[in-house]
Amino acid sequence: MDLFPQFLANGLVMGVFYALSALGLTLIFGLMRVVNFAHGEFYMLGGVSGWFVTNYLGLDFFSGLIVVAALMAAVGWLVDRFLIERVRGQGEEPGILLTIGLSIFLVNGTLLLVGPAPMKVAGAMAEGPLFFGPIAVTKLRLLAVAVGIALIVGAHLLIRRTRLGAAMRATFQDPMAASLAGIRTGHVYAATFALGCTLAALSGMLLASIYSAQASVGGLISLKSFVVVILGGMGSFAGAIAGGLLLGVAEAMWGGYVSMGMVDVIGFVLVILILLFRPQGLFSIRTERA
Amino acid sequence: MTLERNILLALLAGAALLPFAVTDQYILHLAIMALFYAVLASSLNLVVGYVGEFSLGHTAFLGTGAYTAALLSTQAGMPMWVTIPLAGLVSAVFGFAIGAITLRLQGPYFVIVTLSFAEVLRIIANNWIAVTNGPMGLAGVGQTLFGDVAVTDKAGFFLIMLGIAAVALYLSYRFVYSNAGRAAVAVRENRYVAQSIGVDPFGTAMQAFVLGAFLAGLAGGFYAHYISFVGPEVFRFAFMATMIIMVLLGGKGTLIGPLAGAVIVTVLEEYLREVQELRLTLFGLIVMAIVLFLPNGLMGFIALRREQQAAKPTLNAAKERTV
Repeated sequence: MDLFPQFLANGLVMGVFYALSALGLTLIFGLMRVVNFAHGEFYMLGGVSGWFVTNYLGLDFFSGLIVVAALMAAVGWLVDRFLIERVRGQGEEPGILLTIGLSIFLVNGTLLLVGPAPMKVAGAMAEGPLFFGPIAVTKLRLLAVAVGIALIVGAHLLIRRTRLGAAMRATFQDPMAASLAGIRTGHVYAATFALGCTLAALSGMLLASIYSAQASVGGLISLKSFVVVILGGMGSFAGAIAGGLLLGVAEAMWGGYVSMGMVDVIGFVLVILILLFRPQGLFSIRTERA
Repeated sequence: MTLERNILLALLAGAALLPFAVTDQYILHLAIMALFYAVLASSLNLVVGYVGEFSLGHTAFLGTGAYTAALLSTQAGMPMWVTIPLAGLVSAVFGFAIGAITLRLQGPYFVIVTLSFAEVLRIIANNWIAVTNGPMGLAGVGQTLFGDVAVTDKAGFFLIMLGIAAVALYLSYRFVYSNAGRAAVAVRENRYVAQSIGVDPFGTAMQAFVLGAFLAGLAGGFYAHYISFVGPEVFRFAFMATMIIMVLLGGKGTLIGPLAGAVIVTVLEEYLREVQELRLTLFGLIVMAIVLFLPNGLMGFIALRREQQAAKPTLNAAKERTV
């Protein structure tokens, strides 16, 4: 039982990254209604490009983070303008297939370029444990979590406090009315997609500084992000955060007390239960079923 | 309807002659895999094309069938004529159970939950070592058809697979042109209108789902015997992606579409083997191109062309009349 606080801490650390990645997906899937199966690949690209800029271009961690954010925002923008835009308003099926194609392309393109080996992003500081009573956390993890939380707050402020954020909220409430009011909805969609993409990529880069980035990790991350979004409720900002932390803790507990091998089952079992008993998500007030 | 039936019969008859005309083992292997995928794609098409819900968990049934056949064969030494139908039945039971849960949901929720079920089964197959032998998989699945008769060559496997494909197409055909099939299409087109004329959306969707699961289970059972090895990869998303691409490339909601898709994709995958490393990258690009430029698949494209052809003479006639 004395390991409980440690498991909890580990779970919360993982949970922050799940939340960050799911926050990206809740914008894309929850608000834009694009069932984005390439989300995990954006996460993976964040890790891989983070590795590239820190190891090859010799940037330090924080300027690397900024470069990766700018790069992935551009990627997200282009993907939306050139691919997603063409199937917008045709239901979710073409979007699903399109993003599956995109994810196959991105995974294998990356494998071709950098190979299957794990890639470590150079961290911002030395590994060294810090002790809080019974809990040991490495400094690196603490820093990554702090950056993750800062990003979550930043995204929140962007959506709540800026003109772009207001335009986004208006567009997703009623695209027609928004465009009548002079909002260029095409740009808003692209910006939302770019933001979602960037959040996933930064989550990937932060986590790659703790563990490592791998070209093939995307599929599982996509699924877990979907799990978190559904847990929290579609399009719900707070839900994505709570869902992410919940999944992280649940996995850590299951891994610690039951079995390590079956850890990934947890998310899927949770999502099946949620959709059966509370399809609007744990934290959403509005009942919303497509 | 009759055109579709005649084309299907002609295709089956043509395919039956193939092992007598071709002795090249490699080509026969490709033909077997094309038929295997044709059955899978047709079974997925029952859900995607006729119920209109996008299932990403179809590998659950493929894998269940494959594991059932492999276990019955390696543990109980049963021959193929027992294991393959049983594989179908077990998958159908799974289909019923999973359908009872998932078919209550629609749209993206249905997509994610079906996918979750497939993933859960994959992880169980990977970790329940006592039964499934974990990641090592079950090797040495027997190849006896019945009694002492063993299938030794590719031609034999081809004929068995062709038999399964014939059964699958017959059942799909009967389903699609039955009242249940028409009811399913009605639900697909407009759920509320269908309900208002007394169609039970859940019930009709369930029939298609269970039939799809049964057919995928048969294919899985065959796969276990043919490859003679089953591992957790049968649940992997790669199979799922291949199936979806086949259905959508061919044209969903038609019986011939998935067959055409299966043949094209199987051949294309082999052809792209030439460029080894680039293969899957190109594959991804091709998928995106299909979505953007051939949204209704090949059958949709052909239907469109035929409509245009039919429209032309009347257009000309109309012009002459005005002149």
